[in-house]
Amino acid sequence: MSRLDIAGLGAWGTSFSSWETFANGINTGTWQTETLLQPTLIPTRERRRAPQSVKLAVEVMNQACEMAGLDPAGIAAVVSSSMGDMQITDYLCRTLATNPAAVSPTRFHNSVHNATTGYWSIAARSHAATNAVSAYDYTASMAFLEAAIQSLEDESPVLVVTQEMAAPKALHNTCPSDQAFSAAILLTPAGMNSDPLATVEFDISRTSSDWPELPGDLRHGLESNFGARLVPLLAVIAANNRARKTCPVNLEFPLTPASSLKLSVTTHT
Amino acid sequence: MRVAISSYTASTALGHGIDSINKAITNRCSGLRHNDLDNCDLDTWIGRVESVESTSLPAHLDHLYSRNNQLTWLGLQQDGVLTDLDRLIDRVGAHRIGILMATSTSSIGRTEEAYARMDASGYMPRSHDQPEIHHLHSQGIFVARATGVTGPSLTISTACSSGAKVFASASRWIKYGLVDAVLVGGVDSLCLSVLYGFNSLELLSTQACRPFDQLRDGISIGEAAGFAILTSEDLTPDADFALLGYGESSDAYHMSHPHPQGKGAIMAIDKALKSSNLPPTAIDYINLHGTASKANDQVETYAVAQRFSTQTLASSTKGWTGHTLGTAGILEAIITMEAMKAGVAPGTLNCKTPDPEFEFPILMHNTETTIDYAMSNSFGFGGNNAALIFGRIDE
Repeated sequence: MSRLDIAGLGAWGTSFSSWETFANGINTGTWQTETLLQPTLIPTRERRRAPQSVKLAVEVMNQACEMAGLDPAGIAAVVSSSMGDMQITDYLCRTLATNPAAVSPTRFHNSVHNATTGYWSIAARSHAATNAVSAYDYTASMAFLEAAIQSLEDESPVLVVTQEMAAPKALHNTCPSDQAFSAAILLTPAGMNSDPLATVEFDISRTSSDWPELPGDLRHGLESNFGARLVPLLAVIAANNRARKTCPVNLEFPLTPASSLKLSVTTHT
Repeated sequence: MRVAISSYTASTALGHGIDSINKAITNRCSGLRHNDLDNCDLDTWIGRVESVESTSLPAHLDHLYSRNNQLTWLGLQQDGVLTDLDRLIDRVGAHRIGILMATSTSSIGRTEEAYARMDASGYMPRSHDQPEIHHLHSQGIFVARATGVTGPSLTISTACSSGAKVFASASRWIKYGLVDAVLVGGVDSLCLSVLYGFNSLELLSTQACRPFDQLRDGISIGEAAGFAILTSEDLTPDADFALLGYGESSDAYHMSHPHPQGKGAIMAIDKALKSSNLPPTAIDYINLHGTASKANDQVETYAVAQRFSTQTLASSTKGWTGHTLGTAGILEAIITMEAMKAGVAPGTLNCKTPDPEFEFPILMHNTETTIDYAMSNSFGFGGNNAALIFGRIDE
């Protein structure tokens, strides 16, 4: 068993645009009907060039740091997406099939899987280590594990971010995602932050498990979004925070076909 | 606890397996050739691995067919890495071994083909409808099934630093105790996305790339597959090399241009030195990122000059293999360890006259020397930097 704190959270989807609106939706069933994305952290020059996937993720990363009261400049990040920006992949492959010499240089450099961390480091003026990872349908749980180990080994805060866009038609069979979603969880070494939202103990088990169910309101739009597979963790924190429940809640997320990430989450109030 | 590198292999434009690389370095023969890739008429040079197209996959992996996985399979067959891995599986169990794969584009070549063959319906043709292929982790899935490794499996894709960063993550996994060993790998194969993409940024040379030359005018893209087995040192006491340190950083400057004073590069180097507990003077050889782009080579020599004395031997080996993008970090880590083993630092191939503006001397000729400690640099788009330091394990 290893232990880490969750010092900040950020979330963005089509019916919530922050941790507060996400938590409010979980607890009251009232969701936003429209969520405009107005990222504040990205400088104007980069904002013009940044694709939507980057704007989502940078926004939630900033939200998590603000909640924790930590300067984003020194925070390492593990940004995950099973597919990266599928609109850009779709554009690139279409253009290569028809007029390859017309590939846009901006869209090409935005196509790297670490586009988000590139824009994030510029926006946050952060020289900290950043990573961009994928484990296909296991992306969200593997990214959490990767970030958790980094936080423990380096004894420093690490942001873990999941990000998945709606899939264009041609890629939908690979990634059946219908709505964009991004969330950020700021992991900090136990006790480092004086007022963490929650404490997580985690372990690996050599048993397969099913993905925990998403809250009913979100199931329709996000069930097939690989990036949203940690939503049950966020939902537990939102509900227990509101209900002032401090007893630990156990969750199990598949890591591989034959192993799982077991979490015990204690929400602080 | 130190992390040992118990076995490794690489296949590049120079041939299949380590011997092909050593032979070409000794003979100073480049593997680069004028672009002859199907459906691509760009006037540039490429590093193409021989017989990728004729490599057949075993029947149980046939549904994972892509050029990238052909190269992955070809790469896995060399230098006894699979045998060493099987022995390790017998000793610690398949679940106690992890997989960390580096790539910039994975199997996107197959996705490009699917789009080129798409009919008016907008769906992929049946032949290319392979959900496990059209994403970044396709080679991670392939390697797990090809090797029988069942531990955690993750793909790192931070552009051209990916292949170095798998060593950093593997080191953390082993030190934390998540697994006893990690098969780290990097596979990037030639595809239209990277060729036309780098062309759009005007970064491709029309010749074989000339790292650090005053007339250098861009990169040559290469493909490669590299693998290494990392374990805790006590698990493989016969291993020759240890990963002594690593450093990871971000430029926070620009998406496709390095920080002009190499700020992120210097931070990665400093972190690597600190984590290995070595002063800069201890480093005998540096395998530079040295892409032959105007900007990288200028900034990298500046960065290296801020930390190292001009006695330190430093060179780029991309004149042999081309820039293998997400695989560069692991390929050049392997070339670095081979240089330590042979006691020969490779001089930069295709560099006729080093740029007089550089503040650091570039090693021009293969040079016999004792290399106890060596560093390998990898820098990627998005300002993503990594430096690795390797040392010998003495008996």
